[in-house]
Amino acid sequence: MIPPRLRTWIFVWTPIAWLVVTLITYPKNRPLRTGFVHLLGGFFVTPSVGNYAAWVPLFLAIALGAYGIVKLIRQAQPSPFPWVLIAAAAESALWFVAASGLFRGHFDLSGKNTSLAWLFQTVLIVLIGAAVYTWGAANPERAELTVWNARQTWQLYRSNWQGMAGLYIMLFFAAMALLAPFLADHAFLDPTAQIGAPFAPPTLAYYHWFGTTEQGMSVLAEFIWSARISLVVGLFATVISTILGASIGIMAGYYHGWFSEVLMRLTDAFLVIPWLPLAMVLVAAWGQNYGILVLIIGITSWPGTARVVRADALRVRELQFIERGRAIGSSNWHIMQKHILPNVFPLVFANTILVVAIAILAETTLSFLGLGDPLNFSWGTMLHNAWDSGAAGLPAWWYLLPPGIAIVFVVLAFTFMGTAFDEVLDPKLRKREQSGGRPDEGPDRLLPLGGGVGGSEGLAEVPGGGIWAGPADDWDPHNDTGGRA
Amino acid sequence: MDKRRYFTRKILNALLTIVLIASFNFVLFRILPGDPARLLVPKGRFSMDAMAKQRANFHLNKPMWEQFVYYWKDTVQLKFGDSFAQKRPVAQVVGERIWPTVLLVGTGTIIATAIGLVTGVIAGWRRNSKFDVITTNSGMVMYSMPTFWVCLIFIMIFATWLRWFPVGRMYDPGVVYTSWFSQFTALMHHLFLPAFTFAITYMGEYHLIVRSSLTGVMREDYVLTARAKGLSDSNVLWKHVVPNAMLPTVTLVMMNIGFVLSGAILTEAVFNWPGLGLLSYDSMVQRDYPVMQAVFLLGSVAVIVANLIADIMYYYLDPRVKA
Repeated sequence: MIPPRLRTWIFVWTPIAWLVVTLITYPKNRPLRTGFVHLLGGFFVTPSVGNYAAWVPLFLAIALGAYGIVKLIRQAQPSPFPWVLIAAAAESALWFVAASGLFRGHFDLSGKNTSLAWLFQTVLIVLIGAAVYTWGAANPERAELTVWNARQTWQLYRSNWQGMAGLYIMLFFAAMALLAPFLADHAFLDPTAQIGAPFAPPTLAYYHWFGTTEQGMSVLAEFIWSARISLVVGLFATVISTILGASIGIMAGYYHGWFSEVLMRLTDAFLVIPWLPLAMVLVAAWGQNYGILVLIIGITSWPGTARVVRADALRVRELQFIERGRAIGSSNWHIMQKHILPNVFPLVFANTILVVAIAILAETTLSFLGLGDPLNFSWGTMLHNAWDSGAAGLPAWWYLLPPGIAIVFVVLAFTFMGTAFDEVLDPKLRKREQSGGRPDEGPDRLLPLGGGVGGSEGLAEVPGGGIWAGPADDWDPHNDTGGRA
Repeated sequence: MDKRRYFTRKILNALLTIVLIASFNFVLFRILPGDPARLLVPKGRFSMDAMAKQRANFHLNKPMWEQFVYYWKDTVQLKFGDSFAQKRPVAQVVGERIWPTVLLVGTGTIIATAIGLVTGVIAGWRRNSKFDVITTNSGMVMYSMPTFWVCLIFIMIFATWLRWFPVGRMYDPGVVYTSWFSQFTALMHHLFLPAFTFAITYMGEYHLIVRSSLTGVMREDYVLTARAKGLSDSNVLWKHVVPNAMLPTVTLVMMNIGFVLSGAILTEAVFNWPGLGLLSYDSMVQRDYPVMQAVFLLGSVAVIVANLIADIMYYYLDPRVKA
């Protein structure tokens, strides 16, 4: 049977995921007053294939379908899990066809058919929730372990005040980005939408809170909508960077000989390329839009991850169970995927959060140099406009401070979260291994109890501490953030 | 590893990386969409003659492998063609911008290293003290601040409100200095704000690295031994802990000096400081491809050389490398 806690999580997180997706795809041009009504009605912002949004369902369809079919073929005991996945894939394929207008000349979802797209979105989220449910029902032990681990990690994470502070700051800005359509009318970003004199200082009226820009536009409206671009570019660039860095790092750490050497040379070469001039050349040549920006930040920021992951993979490779796996004839791919990856995963995860901070800073920097998307605002673009119009010489502090402070807070939040996760997921475990608790530590380092977990009875005693319960006295050699006292 | 083998290996690695980067540079400026000759002709003065001339200049009318050979020949001779914007050889344009950047980055790095080292050592030695909490958290804030924003805020506070420092440039335009001393004071006056901003953005990073490596070293057995021998605190700190904790810092400082260019682009652009950073920003705005190419190559080589120097210094600083 499915673990009760996992069931609760599914019932809580499915609606939240639905809400987030709905808010992300919420149209910019909907009047505020009717906003909530339309939120329930649904919509699809970008109906043509040329827009990136239409490709999302296609990628989802391919990924879900492929995974579902592989599961279906390899499954020993029958369970509805693969079938639900395949259904979800079919649904997103249908969504793609509808969104891209492949049916007929122009299948326009933006007008009266908005509720159709909303329906696709909703059904997909429900199907994914159902897939997790059926997976949990088919593999209760693994589900129990996963849930237990997540809870354990969360308990540890919660005791780290910096991590929690970072989380709250991040949630604040994420909420601002998601709720942008309700916080500020997008019409105020139109270059013709003046609300006052140029460089008017702040007043108490809502859109005047942060004063006006050099064109007399509302700084507040720009500020709120900028959060979206800054966060989204940072997150997507991180995805690219982490996938590249982790896979190259794992391969370089696992293989011996020339292949590993070539990968490391490549990493070194990328590490020494000054990324800013490179990005400037590429943006100048390829054009200015956010897709390019994401790509450039992604491909220039992976070497750090690759080096860190490689060092950890080198350590894992020498553990005994890897040798054992090789002795019984496991393929390299199998070992890397099933043993190395889960073992380096905590490190990759903590590193990923740190990379988000770097990627957001990179986006801001490029936008500040005037290389951002001219059609959208980000915090960097705002500062670019402020700089260009000489706001520092006036001084128009209301124009300079809000975007800058927001950047500092967001970057700081991700740095705090990253170091907190690093502490939670890494050093204690490493110390435990060094002290030789169990010589042949199982593959899943995230599972502190190892083989002893069978059912919920065994688990009941442990939460809240168990092995890791020691007070935070001396176990934080990697804590370079200070001030835990 | 014996000395000669270690050095040969490091130098060969560096050379190999330079070759890789230079080849990448060749590819980079040829995967640009459209006819490269078209990019190489400044906008507005477009003509068939000009295109043919640029084609011949950059050997674009030859097959790819021959272009590659010519590229290497030209690069080794430091011939990068003519700048579009200034209509002078690129090597000359780039050459005269090196000194201001070295001045700015050098001053900034000295300030940042000095302050970051001292605060890092104190914070690492007295962990969880009030000093540690304050400096480390402000170090993280400094690390999170975008350089250009700090520049803008400093200009706003110190140049616009307080009027303590000029807004930018190396010298006031149109001023003729009577003596070298007044010229020097003017230079320092103009240098202070950019150098200090540059230092602020690196200070936090140095502080965090020194502090964490100090913490790591303090848990080593030889520190315990030193304490057990009854050495005084300051003796343990300065003779046993700090020298060992400096090793990662050396790498980091050298690495950052290598990144002179990308580090200084923002500071120089905002402060109008006539160095390499401003040059690369201007050449990007003006789509001055020959200059961009040269600056990009120079920047990468600087990092590699700095890394090589760090490796060589490591050999003398860290006896474990010799083992």
